[in-house]
Amino acid sequence: MKHQIKLIWLIAAVIGVFTPSATAASSPWQEAAADLAAQIASILGPGQAHLTIRNLSAIPTDEIPTIRRLLEQNLKSHSVTASGADSASAIRVTLSENAHNRIWVAEIVEGSETQIAIVDLGPDETPAASPATGLILRRQELLSTREPILAALELPNALIALETEQIVVYAQAAGLWREQQRAPITVLRPQSRDRRGVLIGSANGSTFEAWLPGIRCASSIDPTSQPASWKIQCRATDDPWAVTQPPLDVSSSQPGSASGTVSPIRAFYNATRNYFTGVISPDLGVDLLPFYTLAQLPRPSSTAALLINGIDGKVQLAENGALKFVSGTRDWGSDFAILHSPCGTGVQIVTSSSGEAQSDSLRAYELPALEAIPASAPLAMDGAVTALATAQDLNGVFAVVRTANNRYEVDRVTALCN
Amino acid sequence: MLRRSAISLLFLSLALTASARTRPHYGGTLRAEVEGDPWNGPDGLARSLIYDGLTRLDPDGSVRPALAVEWQSESDNHRWQFHLRPGVLFHDGSPLTAAAVVQSLNLSCNAACPWTAVRPVGSSIVFTAESPMPNLPALLAGDQFLVALTVTANGRPPAIPTGTGAFRFAGFADGLMTLAANESSWQGRPFADQIQIRTHRAIRDQWLDLSLGHADIVEVPPEELRQAQQQHLAAIVSPLVQLLALQVSDSGPLSSSMLRAALAQAVDRSALFNVIYQKQGEIAASLLPQELTGYAFLFPAARDLKKSSELRGGLTPSPLTLGFETGGTTELAAQRLALNLREAGFEILLVPASAATRTALTLRKLPLDAAPPSAAIEALLRAAGEAASVANTTPTALYHAERDFLDRCTLVPLLYLPRAYATGPRVRDLQLTASGTPDLASVSLEDAP
Repeated sequence: MKHQIKLIWLIAAVIGVFTPSATAASSPWQEAAADLAAQIASILGPGQAHLTIRNLSAIPTDEIPTIRRLLEQNLKSHSVTASGADSASAIRVTLSENAHNRIWVAEIVEGSETQIAIVDLGPDETPAASPATGLILRRQELLSTREPILAALELPNALIALETEQIVVYAQAAGLWREQQRAPITVLRPQSRDRRGVLIGSANGSTFEAWLPGIRCASSIDPTSQPASWKIQCRATDDPWAVTQPPLDVSSSQPGSASGTVSPIRAFYNATRNYFTGVISPDLGVDLLPFYTLAQLPRPSSTAALLINGIDGKVQLAENGALKFVSGTRDWGSDFAILHSPCGTGVQIVTSSSGEAQSDSLRAYELPALEAIPASAPLAMDGAVTALATAQDLNGVFAVVRTANNRYEVDRVTALCN
Repeated sequence: MLRRSAISLLFLSLALTASARTRPHYGGTLRAEVEGDPWNGPDGLARSLIYDGLTRLDPDGSVRPALAVEWQSESDNHRWQFHLRPGVLFHDGSPLTAAAVVQSLNLSCNAACPWTAVRPVGSSIVFTAESPMPNLPALLAGDQFLVALTVTANGRPPAIPTGTGAFRFAGFADGLMTLAANESSWQGRPFADQIQIRTHRAIRDQWLDLSLGHADIVEVPPEELRQAQQQHLAAIVSPLVQLLALQVSDSGPLSSSMLRAALAQAVDRSALFNVIYQKQGEIAASLLPQELTGYAFLFPAARDLKKSSELRGGLTPSPLTLGFETGGTTELAAQRLALNLREAGFEILLVPASAATRTALTLRKLPLDAAPPSAAIEALLRAAGEAASVANTTPTALYHAERDFLDRCTLVPLLYLPRAYATGPRVRDLQLTASGTPDLASVSLEDAP
C-alpha cells in the first residue's frame, strides 16, 4: 500500500513536471517558451540557474506568471532547474518587441560570460473593437493586400479587386476569399497620382467591367470550367465610365452583359486628374461642374435623383431637372456610396470623413429633404478610406482602406438597426 | 497591441482641425525652405523629386517596385536581374533604357558598389558579385543609387539634372530652386504645379517665413521641437531615421582596440540626449533601435569611466582630432564629447570636418532607413565604410552581426534622431518617406484652384 501511494505520487509528479498545466497547455506562449528553453538549455547545459523575467512589451502583466511557469516547466524538461538568487548562473529573460514582432531574449550569465538566445514570436494580431450606438455601421474585412486596390466588387461567386496594373479574382474557400486568378491590365498609360477606378457588375452578377483612366476592361467566364475560368480583356478608350451599379437580378439571363437591363449613368473622366469632367450620359438637362462622386439616390418625390459631390466640396442633388445644394455636408469627404437597409427611411448615404490624422471614419446619413441628417455614429476605420462603392445587392458598401502600414483592406460595411 | 512604427504625427497647432477627407486638388506652388543644400543626400529634398530609384522603401520599410517592376535572384544571391518598367521617359523625353540605368549606377558608387559588375540585358539590368547580395533590392532604394540621365542623345551630359521623377528641374536663381510638375510622370502627375525650395535659410528665418505665410514647409531640428511647440507650429515628426555616431579610425593613435574600447566607455550619451538634443530621439548603443530589432537593450549605453580607465591601462595616446560639421547642434555635441573624452584622459582637438582632413574621430549622422533590419544594418555598415553583407535575417544572427561589428569599436553609436518639419495651413496630405524626408510629390494645396 505504501509502495502504491509512492508510485501514484511519482506518476503525478512526473505528469506535473513534464506536462504543462491545462492553462499553460492552451497558452499562446507555449511554443515560444519551449523554443527559448531549448536554446537556453543548449547553452547552459543541465544544472541550476536563477531565472528573472522583465517585460518590455505590451504583454499584459497578468500573463507573466503563466509565461514564467511555462519557461520553468520547459527548462526542467531539459534538466535546467530555476533556483534562488545565490545560484552561480543566471537567466535574464526579457519579453521584448519591435515594430512588427514580439521578441523574447534570454541573457545566460555564467561568471563573467554572457550568451544570448532569441526567439521571434511573430506579429501580434489583436482585432480592434468598433463603437456601437444608434443605427450601427458594421464592417467586415474581406481582403488585405500590399498592392494598392482602386475598387472592389462582390459577385455571387467571386470577389473582384481592381489594382493599378492587375485585376484579381478571388474565390471563396472555407469562409475566406482566396486568390483564384490574376489578369494584367495590358493597356498601361500614366495615371493620375490619386488613382481611381470603378468596377461594375452585370445585372445577373455573372461578369463585370472595370474602368480606369483611359482604359476599359471587360470580363467573360467559361461556365463549363471548374473552377470558373475568367477571360479579362482591356482596351484603351476615351468612352465615359459607367458610374452607377445596376441592382443584382440573378433571374436575368444575359450572361456577359455588363450593364444588364438597367442602363447605368455614364460620366466622362479626366484621365490626368482625379475627377469627372461634369459631362454625363444620359443628359440630365442641367449643367454639372466637375465632380468626384455621383450616386443614384432613390427619392419618394422623383424617380431618379442624382447626388453629386463637386470638386469645389459642395454636394448637390439633381432632381426633376433642377440642381439643388444639400446642406449638412460639411463633414463629408469626397466619396460616398448609397446603402439600402431595413433601418430608418431604408436608404442611407455612407460617406467618409477624417478622424485622427491617419485614420478616417465612415458615417451614415439620410436625406429626407435637402439637409443631410446623421443616421449613425461614426465607424472608425483602420486608415484612410480611398474608395467607396455600393455593393451589387445594395445592402452593403465596399470601402477600400489604406492602413497606416501601407496595406490595402477591402471592408464590407453594412447597417444594423437598433 | 504592439507600438507601431508608422510615422508619428505630432499636430501641435490648435488651429488645425479635423476636416473631412476630400480628394487632393491639383495646382498651385508649394514653397519649402531648407537650411542646407537640397541637392545633397541623403536628405536633399530636390534629389528624390527629380530622380527615381529602381526600387523604393515604404515608410514601414518594405521594398516596393519603382523603375524596376520585378526582380529575381539566382546563384544564392550572387546574381540579380531587375526588369525595367516599360514606357518611362526621362524629363527630356528620351526613354529610360537599361543602358542608361547602368551608366547612372556606374557613376554612383564606383568601387564601393555592393556589386562587382552591372550590365544591361535587353530591358533588364543584371548585377553580379563575388559575395552574396541578399539585401540588394533594399540597398538600391538608397539615395546614392537614384537614376540620372548621364548622356543625352547628342552624346553630351545633360545641361540640367535630368531624371524620371515627379518633378523636373526648372531653374535656380538667388538661392531659390524651382521644380516643375512632370506631366508624364510614371507615378502620375504630382498635385502641385511647382515647388520652390529656398536654400541655405536659417531655421529662425524659416519659422518666421512660415508664420508670415511666405513658406509652406520648413525644417524643425529635433532639438528644437519644444520651441516649435511653444510657437504653435504644426510639426510632423518621423520615426528614428538618423544615427548620430562617433566614427573611430582604427589606424594611427587608435590602432589599439583596448584604447578604442576605453574611448567608447567614456562617452556620456545621457548628457548629449538631455542637454544638447533636449530629450528628443533616443539614446543609442546599438546600430538599430529597439523598435526595429527588439534586442537593442542588450547593448549597454551607460558611461563607465572606471572601466574606461582599466581598458586604457595608463596609456595616453597622442592628441586625437575630432572632426565635426560646423555650426548648429552637431558642433555643440562635438564639444560635449571632447569634454567627456578629456575627463577620461584623452587629449582632443576639435577640427571642422572636410573631405581633405582625416581625423582620428569623426562625429557623423548616418542614415537609418526603415528597411528590413538586415538591409538597414548593411546600409549603415556601408555608410560607415564597411563593405559587409548581412545575409542571415534571424534576430539572433542580426544581434551577432551588430555585436561583432561594435566590439571592434570603430563606430560608437550615440543617439537615434528623428527628422521633423513644420507645415503651413495650405499643405495637406503630407507624408514622410522611409528616410524621414517629406514626400512633396504627394502633397496637394488646400487653396489650389
